[in-house]
Amino acid sequence: MRSTFKIGGIHPPGNKIADRSIELLPLPMTATLPLSQHIGVPAKPIVEKGEHVDRGQCVAENSAYISAGLHAPISGTVAAIEPTVLPSGKLCNAIIIKATQEEHDADTAVRELYWEKVNSRIPEFSLCDRYDKSEIIKLVSASGVVGLGGAAFPSHVKLASEKVTTIPELLILNGCECEPYLMCDDALMCAYARNIAVGIELMMKASGIKNAVIAIEDNKSEAIKAISAAIVSREGVALRVLKTKYPQGGEKQLVEAVTGRRIASGALPISVGVIVQNVATAFAVWQAVATGQPLIERVVTVSGDIPAEQRRNYMVAIGTPLAELPCERPPKCRSLLGGPMMGSPVVRYDASLMKGSSGLTILSGEGRKAPMQCVRCAICVEACPMGLEPYLLSTYGRLRMCDEAREHAVADCIECGICSYSCPSNRPLLDFIRVAKQRSRK
Amino acid sequence: MNLLLGSIIVLGVMGFMGALVLYSTAKRFAVEEDARIDEIVSLLPGANCGGCGFKGCRDFATQSVAKGSLAGFRCPVATKAVLDQVAKVLGVESIGDAERQVAVLRCNGSCHVREQQYEYEGPQSCAVIDNTAVGTRGCWYGCLGCGDCVDVCSFNALRIDNDTKLPVVDDKLCTACGACVAECPRHLFQLRSIGDKNEGRRVWVACSNKERGAMARKACAAACIACTKCAKTCPTGAITISENLAYIDYKQCIACGECVAVCPTGAILANIPHREVKLEKTESQA
Repeated sequence: MRSTFKIGGIHPPGNKIADRSIELLPLPMTATLPLSQHIGVPAKPIVEKGEHVDRGQCVAENSAYISAGLHAPISGTVAAIEPTVLPSGKLCNAIIIKATQEEHDADTAVRELYWEKVNSRIPEFSLCDRYDKSEIIKLVSASGVVGLGGAAFPSHVKLASEKVTTIPELLILNGCECEPYLMCDDALMCAYARNIAVGIELMMKASGIKNAVIAIEDNKSEAIKAISAAIVSREGVALRVLKTKYPQGGEKQLVEAVTGRRIASGALPISVGVIVQNVATAFAVWQAVATGQPLIERVVTVSGDIPAEQRRNYMVAIGTPLAELPCERPPKCRSLLGGPMMGSPVVRYDASLMKGSSGLTILSGEGRKAPMQCVRCAICVEACPMGLEPYLLSTYGRLRMCDEAREHAVADCIECGICSYSCPSNRPLLDFIRVAKQRSRK
Repeated sequence: MNLLLGSIIVLGVMGFMGALVLYSTAKRFAVEEDARIDEIVSLLPGANCGGCGFKGCRDFATQSVAKGSLAGFRCPVATKAVLDQVAKVLGVESIGDAERQVAVLRCNGSCHVREQQYEYEGPQSCAVIDNTAVGTRGCWYGCLGCGDCVDVCSFNALRIDNDTKLPVVDDKLCTACGACVAECPRHLFQLRSIGDKNEGRRVWVACSNKERGAMARKACAAACIACTKCAKTCPTGAITISENLAYIDYKQCIACGECVAVCPTGAILANIPHREVKLEKTESQA
């Protein structure tokens, strides 16, 4: 019997309809790098307006314990460092790099050569022996690697946390990708399974963990095949196939599905001796150590209600404007950065892709239906993977009852969107839970 | 007959015993409460708006009696006469003639000066929109127009104007209780003197956009672009500019209206009807 987490969860249509191969998306002529692409303190720019930067050069360094650096995804001139819009339409300080045609052509040639090399060579496990613990962490930190599952937590902090004295016993690699439509991790696992495996061993060495488990849901048979072939006869690394259920990719859900241990309210996986990293992060770690390329590109899924040949996975330079992702948007569509369950709405297409953006999902159809009265059916309570009472929390949010919301553990909500999705009265539950969450934090 | 008499006697005795129990309990467990509290509560407006900073009118009364003075207390709703009476009950001096205040909206971004950027179909709540994305009208600081402030106003002093889609404060009803100030997710309301010293006239900068001129102007045709014209014109030097935004100190302002006339974007309002602002075609931002 394949395991999964116990409380709540649903089975939305998977819609994994994009092509699994990864195509190189042409580099943009202008790249916009918001300084706050990760959890923690924004990066500090170390270049000035008018300065020339090379592709891969560090343009902003990590300014605090929890922070990550930024690197130029294209060669060019720094056009400005000023407030720029994010896909949500909000403002964030950003470094804007503009390339000339020659720089663009040169970059494109270098990039093609780079990926040709990566694709043709079989990565060696012996790579791990060449570096020691601190060297790996230094490289990961200098490459600006962050968790690529969506939360974008700086990876070097997780690998060598100063605050944790005991070494965790298990590293879980998150290859669940439970979110409908998104396929970027799936595509990466199929194409670069061995690179990921080497990346995992690098991470194990960096954090001193002896055992690693790669968790993949059972709807990704190709990725399972590729990964199991890549880790054959590797000690301490195992593959775990999980029963497909949303939101299995949530950290707490995944730890429970794999180990059976439940993480207390407000605690981190480290409290039960586990660290969770995304498989794409493992690939980024491999890239940083083996090739020296910092995190300037990532796989992005473009999918949804667009022509079938446009549903694809692209290797995209971070900082590329969303408008440059090739897709014909139908009139009256909704665009989401991420998947349909947790994605955030895209308001501005001139804004850029960031480290944490895993996909662009275009949805047409009728959208939100008019909300009706809550009928106290408790479907949301049953479905909530955190064991909360969404109908209650949402009411607290609407009525600004912050103390009550706090008492009912609103901070535990992982914003997976199951409550709004499953409500038969179409109530906007999550919207108001977010309000409650935000206001009770003050 | 006997039956009837018997019932009356039995019930009568039971009733008497019950009364005894109730009487003795009431005597024994009676809580001494200052009679002045009830007296003050009956004097106060009873709106329970929380504008004084306490949980309601009764809490105000309890706290003021406990402290034995009115120093540091304020009730935005009550008139001076009422507060004088309250002071009399307490046997202290009145809290003086506090300047009457009123809430002003520091945004003039009506739907005529800000183009709609996208359609929104989620719940009509400013707090929800502010959590998700920038408002449908694009400004990062401006009014979201869903009327969360109208919902929290206990005095019906706010309404959303049908034409501008902005909240309008009714000076006569507003008590400056501060509920809207706390509620607005963009912190657009401020309490200002109602302007008694200037015969009820007052002038304020109706913009909160802290971006630089060009950027602010791109977001809204009525934005303050920090051009400093108003500061140069002001005869009393009441206008200062900080964070790309003009601010009028109402203590120095004489409500002459000079700044209203020179403001190129119409970002300065006086308590006269909304000034017409022409919508120039802003660059497409889609």
